[in-house]
Amino acid sequence: MHRYERAVLVALKGKKGMELEELAAAAHIGRDEAMWALENLKGRGFVDVSYSASENLELGDEGKEYERDGLPEVRLLEKASMGKTAVSSLVGREKIGLQWAKRNGWITIEAGMIRLTARGLEAEKKRPGINELGRDEIVKRGLGTVSEKRHITGISATKAGIDALGSKDGDDGAIDAVDRGMISSGLWKGMKFKPYDIAAPVEPRAVAMSHPLRRLVEEVKDAYASSGFREVSGPAVESSFWAFDSLFVPQDHPARDAQDTFYASNVGSVQVGDLPYISTVKKAHQRGWHSKWSEDIAGQMLLRVHTTSVSARYIYNIVHELKSNPGKYELPIKLFSVGRVFRNEALDYRHLADFYQHDGVIIGRNLTLSNLFDTLTKLYQGLGIKVRFKPSYFPFVEPGAELMAYSEGRKEWIEMAGCGIVREEITGVSRNKLTVLAWGSGIERLMLIRDQSISSIVQLYGNGVGWLRGRKW
Amino acid sequence: MPVVQLDKRYLYSLLGSGFDEKSLKDHVAKLGFEIEEADEGSLSLEVTANRPDLLCALGLARALKNFMHKTKKFNYAIEDVEPALEIYVDPSVKRIRPYVAGVVAKGIKLADDSLADVITFTEKFCDTYGRSRRKVAIGMHDLDAIKPPVAYRCEKDVEYVPLGGTKKARLSEVLASSPKGIQYSGIIAKGGKKFFPVIEDSQGVASFVPILNSQRTRVTPSTTNIFVDITGTSEYAVNKAAEILGAMFMDLGAKVGRVAIKYGRRTVQTPEMKTSYMSVPLARAEREIGVPIGFDNVISLANKMGYEAALVGKMVRFSIPQYRVDVIDRQDLIEDIAIGYGYEYINPMAAPYTQSGGLEQQTLINRKATGIMVGMGFSEFTNSYLTNEQANFDKAGVKREESIVVLQNPKTAEISMMRTWLLPSLLRNLGASSHDSMPQDVFELDMVFCVQGSKPVESYHLGAASVGPKANFNDMKAVVEGLLLSMGTQYAVAEFRHDSFIEGRCAQIKMAGKHAGFFGELHPKVLRNFGIEEPAVAMEIDISAR
Repeated sequence: MHRYERAVLVALKGKKGMELEELAAAAHIGRDEAMWALENLKGRGFVDVSYSASENLELGDEGKEYERDGLPEVRLLEKASMGKTAVSSLVGREKIGLQWAKRNGWITIEAGMIRLTARGLEAEKKRPGINELGRDEIVKRGLGTVSEKRHITGISATKAGIDALGSKDGDDGAIDAVDRGMISSGLWKGMKFKPYDIAAPVEPRAVAMSHPLRRLVEEVKDAYASSGFREVSGPAVESSFWAFDSLFVPQDHPARDAQDTFYASNVGSVQVGDLPYISTVKKAHQRGWHSKWSEDIAGQMLLRVHTTSVSARYIYNIVHELKSNPGKYELPIKLFSVGRVFRNEALDYRHLADFYQHDGVIIGRNLTLSNLFDTLTKLYQGLGIKVRFKPSYFPFVEPGAELMAYSEGRKEWIEMAGCGIVREEITGVSRNKLTVLAWGSGIERLMLIRDQSISSIVQLYGNGVGWLRGRKW
Repeated sequence: MPVVQLDKRYLYSLLGSGFDEKSLKDHVAKLGFEIEEADEGSLSLEVTANRPDLLCALGLARALKNFMHKTKKFNYAIEDVEPALEIYVDPSVKRIRPYVAGVVAKGIKLADDSLADVITFTEKFCDTYGRSRRKVAIGMHDLDAIKPPVAYRCEKDVEYVPLGGTKKARLSEVLASSPKGIQYSGIIAKGGKKFFPVIEDSQGVASFVPILNSQRTRVTPSTTNIFVDITGTSEYAVNKAAEILGAMFMDLGAKVGRVAIKYGRRTVQTPEMKTSYMSVPLARAEREIGVPIGFDNVISLANKMGYEAALVGKMVRFSIPQYRVDVIDRQDLIEDIAIGYGYEYINPMAAPYTQSGGLEQQTLINRKATGIMVGMGFSEFTNSYLTNEQANFDKAGVKREESIVVLQNPKTAEISMMRTWLLPSLLRNLGASSHDSMPQDVFELDMVFCVQGSKPVESYHLGAASVGPKANFNDMKAVVEGLLLSMGTQYAVAEFRHDSFIEGRCAQIKMAGKHAGFFGELHPKVLRNFGIEEPAVAMEIDISAR
């Protein structure tokens, strides 16, 4: 017997017809626990419970409206008694009122006009409300429902219940709670332990959660590290030079518009003129885009639009070092970075202004498009995602490709990552000597493919505790 | 990426037999673009920004027919040396919009659909490659209505009958009151002054650049001779646009003539339509793509992609189609060989392996701290790095600071700066959770931003908060000490005042004698600002790897 059941039976002993609250108080347990124990005891015939039933009329939405504003047939009478009323002028509820007023014999219709009968005139004086309709009529007209509610009026223990309490094979004398003194004293030797009801309800323990998106970010880092990539990072508040110019994005490219990119004020712009590779960049832009190239535009500070700016910093610096010291690094060098990127969006339920992105780069000799496809296929395989490639265009790579990921949930291929062989304009070195493979991709998009319970990326940010607690680890 | 709506029936009529919707989709995808049904009569084509020549049914049909070896249409050279028309460029346009190109197409047979396709191209091209007409704008005229001499100049505020109109209007009126005038007036304003660049002939204004053509020179499906003016800020771009249009008109059966552009003493003929050549060693293409292609195959792949090609020793000599704007050098040709070969046939081959991977110090610190916080029963949140002064300072009860990264151009007042600390984000999370069961223990570990000496400083912070009926100062002190002991960090606790916390219930965390963070019991006014109904305690520590 569970201790709640025992407590209830003990409290009922010698009493008759107790009420639920009274019983719970006497048994020193909560109302819900007492209710639960009673249900169990009733099933075994250990208690008698008597009930009284009461009926309760509850008005529906329409019923409530009539309670507030009056019955439509009465409202119709009021309207018709004010002056000539044509049936065709009735709208909304008045049409319902017309049907009931006719049925009640309150009105007649002559040549499309409403006329009050004697009974109608009488009813107009009395103006009966919804309650005057009576319960049956209210239910019949669908204005309300009647529910029956049972109340416990008296609880008594049966003889079997009292016997069970005192029976020899009951739990009297068995150990309830185990405590420190009992363990060390050895008092438990030869004693029985009271069993628990394994079906008794408990409140599941709340689990502290790391955030699903943050967890995926770390998983992506692990996927890279286990494929031989070393993690690097770079600033989020970045110069246009590293975010765009170094990547051969023309200075009049629409992505650089203030429409799409956040520019930072309150921080000084960067003097890019001192960078050792500035003439390479300048020449590449002038030749490739047939336009002037401005150091001032390159020096503007912005919130990075992709983590490819981190890759750019490493590509330029490593290539620069290799030029003066070709043996400095063992090639290929494999690097990755993960971080937030920013897009100038108006925030709503579908749009965020910051996201996570990951970027990878391999710097080596004689690397191929086929090496790129292999690296990415395996990387995404490690994250549980099937991929394929299609041609695409990004100013900094050529050949360029789009990695398409298969969404099992949506049963379709989704654009996932841009990738390619980095242009010579960026490395400043012939690809006969050095090849750089690079790619970049959003992590929220990966999350949507991986976790079908998440329907929009906005869900992932700024939630309440309830959302997090409701998630599976 | 640019998206253009194409007339379905017209496209299929250009493609000829052997295309259905599925094969069309497949082949467009193989080229790296996307096409799908938009509605009953039209298809929506998405092309990458480097291929403006495909922003019309004519261009797409040309590419697809080559791709399927249905035609070998490569060369769009012009034989005629004599220019069909001259445009005198007046120095007055130099400051505002210095370049112009022209195309003449004679004996063209237009129909509603082909004219619509050309117009679709000019509009889409100017929107995208032409940067909303700033870089390039195109105007089409009936050549027979043009009465030389033709000049490109800045006019006074003269009158003309704008396209679609019946009455004369001043240029300033067109600029101020026509939809196009309102939309594009910014392009011809410099230093607050408005300019009126026009293409004009002996009869007056033919085109108010880059706003609106004249009704007098308008093109209709019955027009047989066409003149196109192309103006802009990049000589390369306007000349390229002329070449794309030249190729389109030739595809439409016209005889295309050049226009001599007289820039003072310098004369340029547009569209030049000169055939240029570029050679790629086959071995290099094979090495970069990572597949064997072979001399037998490479010419056919080049033809597929619209190039006439020939073997010269171990090199493949490509003739570059006049309509391509994106072929800068060999790298671009190698990509086209790869596309012709088919990305789906490129077998993945492992890159050489040299080193073991690894994580940054900061990642390792963050993982340790996250593990400890979750171990103490705290749940993790993640929030935007972007906020506003009210949320970051006012609601938390602290004074606004100047040393912050401010956003110059946000689209919404909700974001105006980068957050300087984590607690306001976390308190917002808790305010949104007041209906969930208590107690609640939450944390966030991520970046915050400030400015020192006009340079941005980026740090990693750990912020945590507990809310519930019994939350008190000592609870958070226990969390802070548990965390720092487990991290193995040396620290000291000192007295502190912080406007978000109750005075006397707040402390500073010091590491190596320096301020590193704080914790305490949040002030009721702050709790109310965030809609938190129970007592709450919080902490924030800088855990950046230095």
